[in-house]
Amino acid sequence: MSNLEKSTPEFKVEEIHIHNRKNKIKESTGYKVFTVVNTIIMILIAFATLYPFLYLVSQSFSSKEAIIAGHTSLIPKGFNIDTYIYVIKGQHNNYEFLRYYGNTILYTVIGTVLSLFFSCMLAYPLSKNKLKINRFLSPFVIFTMYFGGGLIANYVLILKLELKDTMWGFILPMLISTYYVILMRSFFMSIPKDLEEAGEIDGLNKFGVFWHIARPLSTPIIATMTLFYAVMYWNNWFNAKLYLQNKNKWPVAYYLQTIIRGGGGASDPDAEQMSANIKSCAMVLTVLPIICVYPFIQRYYVQGMMLGGVKE
Amino acid sequence: MKTTTLKKLSCIGLAVSMLSGFVACNKNTEEESSSEATTIPEQIVTTEDPDANLPYTYGLGKTFHADQPVTYTMFFSDASWYPMVDTWKTEGIFKEIENRTNVTLDIKSYDSGDYMDNITLDINAGNAAYIIPKIYDDSAFVDGGAIVPISDYVDKMPYYTDFYNTYNLADDIKTITRANGKYYKLPGMKEANLINYSFVIRKDIWDAAGVDVIELEKDWNWAEFLDALQKVKKYMVAQGMCSESDYIWSDLWCGNESGQGSGGNLLGVMGSTYEVNAGWNIGNGMRYDQASDKYIFSPTTDNFKQFVTTANSFVAAGILDPETFTQDDATATAKYYSGKTAIMSINQGQWANYEENMTAQLGAGNFENYVITIPVGTTNNSTVAPERLENGVMISQKALDELGEEGFIQMLRFVDWLFYSHEAYDLTKWGIEGVHYDVVDGQKVLKDGFCCGGLGYGNDAEGSMTDIRLQWGYAGGNFWYGGTVAEMTDNLIAPVADYVNRDAEFRDTPPLAPGIAPTADQNEEINLIATPLISNVNSWTLKFITGQEDINAKWDEYVKSCEDLNSQGLVDIYAQLYKGK
Repeated sequence: MSNLEKSTPEFKVEEIHIHNRKNKIKESTGYKVFTVVNTIIMILIAFATLYPFLYLVSQSFSSKEAIIAGHTSLIPKGFNIDTYIYVIKGQHNNYEFLRYYGNTILYTVIGTVLSLFFSCMLAYPLSKNKLKINRFLSPFVIFTMYFGGGLIANYVLILKLELKDTMWGFILPMLISTYYVILMRSFFMSIPKDLEEAGEIDGLNKFGVFWHIARPLSTPIIATMTLFYAVMYWNNWFNAKLYLQNKNKWPVAYYLQTIIRGGGGASDPDAEQMSANIKSCAMVLTVLPIICVYPFIQRYYVQGMMLGGVKE
Repeated sequence: MKTTTLKKLSCIGLAVSMLSGFVACNKNTEEESSSEATTIPEQIVTTEDPDANLPYTYGLGKTFHADQPVTYTMFFSDASWYPMVDTWKTEGIFKEIENRTNVTLDIKSYDSGDYMDNITLDINAGNAAYIIPKIYDDSAFVDGGAIVPISDYVDKMPYYTDFYNTYNLADDIKTITRANGKYYKLPGMKEANLINYSFVIRKDIWDAAGVDVIELEKDWNWAEFLDALQKVKKYMVAQGMCSESDYIWSDLWCGNESGQGSGGNLLGVMGSTYEVNAGWNIGNGMRYDQASDKYIFSPTTDNFKQFVTTANSFVAAGILDPETFTQDDATATAKYYSGKTAIMSINQGQWANYEENMTAQLGAGNFENYVITIPVGTTNNSTVAPERLENGVMISQKALDELGEEGFIQMLRFVDWLFYSHEAYDLTKWGIEGVHYDVVDGQKVLKDGFCCGGLGYGNDAEGSMTDIRLQWGYAGGNFWYGGTVAEMTDNLIAPVADYVNRDAEFRDTPPLAPGIAPTADQNEEINLIATPLISNVNSWTLKFITGQEDINAKWDEYVKSCEDLNSQGLVDIYAQLYKGK
């Protein structure tokens, strides 16, 4: 308390706040009971959400025998890291998992940078109401949210462009997300015109206005979109399934999908299931980067939606 | 004014497109009905011309060999548990096929889980490979024109023809023939249908309980089987291995995970002994009844009532765990591996897996597994149908278009050698004789230093052996299936071969149902009726078996519910398709 008293006026505001909290109206018994029950329910829900993941982590460190016998719980049984070594090394000691991981990182970095660039390039002009072409362009862009060419048409397009089995076959089909472009457009609309006009008076061309004025002012939305796009590229496996036949180009998410699914159950006599510890280990490794980063950036997820959604 | 004109124009445009749609439909129907139906011959006469000056060698007993190197594209279902690697092409199976035939296979592989999705996409996008293996259901492809009606060409294929004629497969082939009298895939063909699914028991416990399973199983029925299980349970309770309230049969492949929510394997096997479709054999419920020579809806027959009564008796006696019908497979196996239960479902491929897991759990020598012969119901049958056809190979129209008639027939003869010759069967399953395996006293045995998970040869403790499947692609699922009994059983380990032989000795196979060929419209109608109907059947079946509903009291209500869902509609469609002999 003494520290607070010596500190700056901003801290005094904090002090008043604390002081107020102490002197607040006495909570009724009903409210206290509600708070306790509420907290318990929230803890239970949090536990229920967390449990499968913790169980997965525990399984990945447990021995195969313990998993088959159903002895695993939140604490690993027969603790070992052999599964991790096996998954990383691969059946043929060719470190294929790391290759898939590398692919994912490459696709995510290149895809995110390009997506951001092209999304900005589309969203910025769309935010200018005075541009007559927008009357035609806006509905055209929004149209793609509701109607697509369909799977086969897209597939034929990728084939004819000779993009199958290339990195671009994975990245280009999801280069621009209409939804994110609309969020960005709304944000760009909120930038005061006067600032941009001032830039033009000072001799900037249209791109210069975007680059030197609009872009620095749009850091929040760009940060959010970076996150959105990065997660989208990291998690995507469907494009890989369609367009990446060559295994060497697979992202890790698709590899994970193939091993989790394994064989077709008992009805396919040729099928075998991957051991549960291998599956869980691969899952943990795949989600690890996102799990590590997510707590620090999750507020942007919510904020991002608000940023683009509210026009000031 | 402008708007009115626009509206008028749009209306005219719509009307024209609708009319042209109608015209197109009519044309289509005419084409379908005028298509000339070919009949499936009892014996195929080959059209070989030994004097023809062909740019390749082929024929029964000969290895196909092209004079000039040739490349054919082929789809390949790549399994994630033995993924294809470069060594398969550089020194393994594909290289050896090339060495023998001068044919290079240009493999377009897809992960096995996505295989059907991806090849469907490729075929529809005009990007099909020439050879399309591992096809279970070809119905999605036959109407599109992208697949060759292969029945028009089978007389060019000596190995196929020989197998077909030797083992009289005409009636079997009729079951995959379409409404136009043609068939579109070259199926894997078996000399005989061998038993695959049965039950494994803990013979050490059964013996200790005084149940002589070997003597009993020859002709036991389900009631005697239940008696035996009750004795075993009594013994287990007395020994403190379980309590009176525990169940000693808690099965896998029955819950939602793999039993399709319908009792899966257990009810399928039990139903087959009562001549009814149940569990994962339920299909649309229709079954050929030989006595009346017509198709009947089996879930409302008296046999079905007897079958559910029998199944219920196991639950009522405290033997069969009702959780069987909901639990995950891993839960069931965990109970059996740890000795909490004394019986569980098995198929040919699972023996080694069970043994390995139980050795890890209980220790070697502390248990003895034994696969029983299935008890008798109202028939002596142990399978639902004499399935002699396996998944098969389709050939794309693109191959015919690009290779021309002669080149196409050359490719067919290569396909014929690859999928139907004994030489290729041994090569794709076992590798190269003298290099990977030897024949000792008529039995194929892998040479020292090699193992193969797919053939039941495990690796040593250090993992020092080379797996011929992982390393070179032999014993993979794209090539070998079907074949003669000798071929199909050449890799069965002794206990599995034993139960296959016992089943062949003590049990019968039901007669083959005559082939029916519904049109696309009829198929759709059948599915429309069957989907809610079978869901109703499954739900009532489980209620009866688990004791939630009384079978005698509610049977009529159940039959009525099926009739309300138009079970008669199915019978009528089948009666239209099959008029009897």
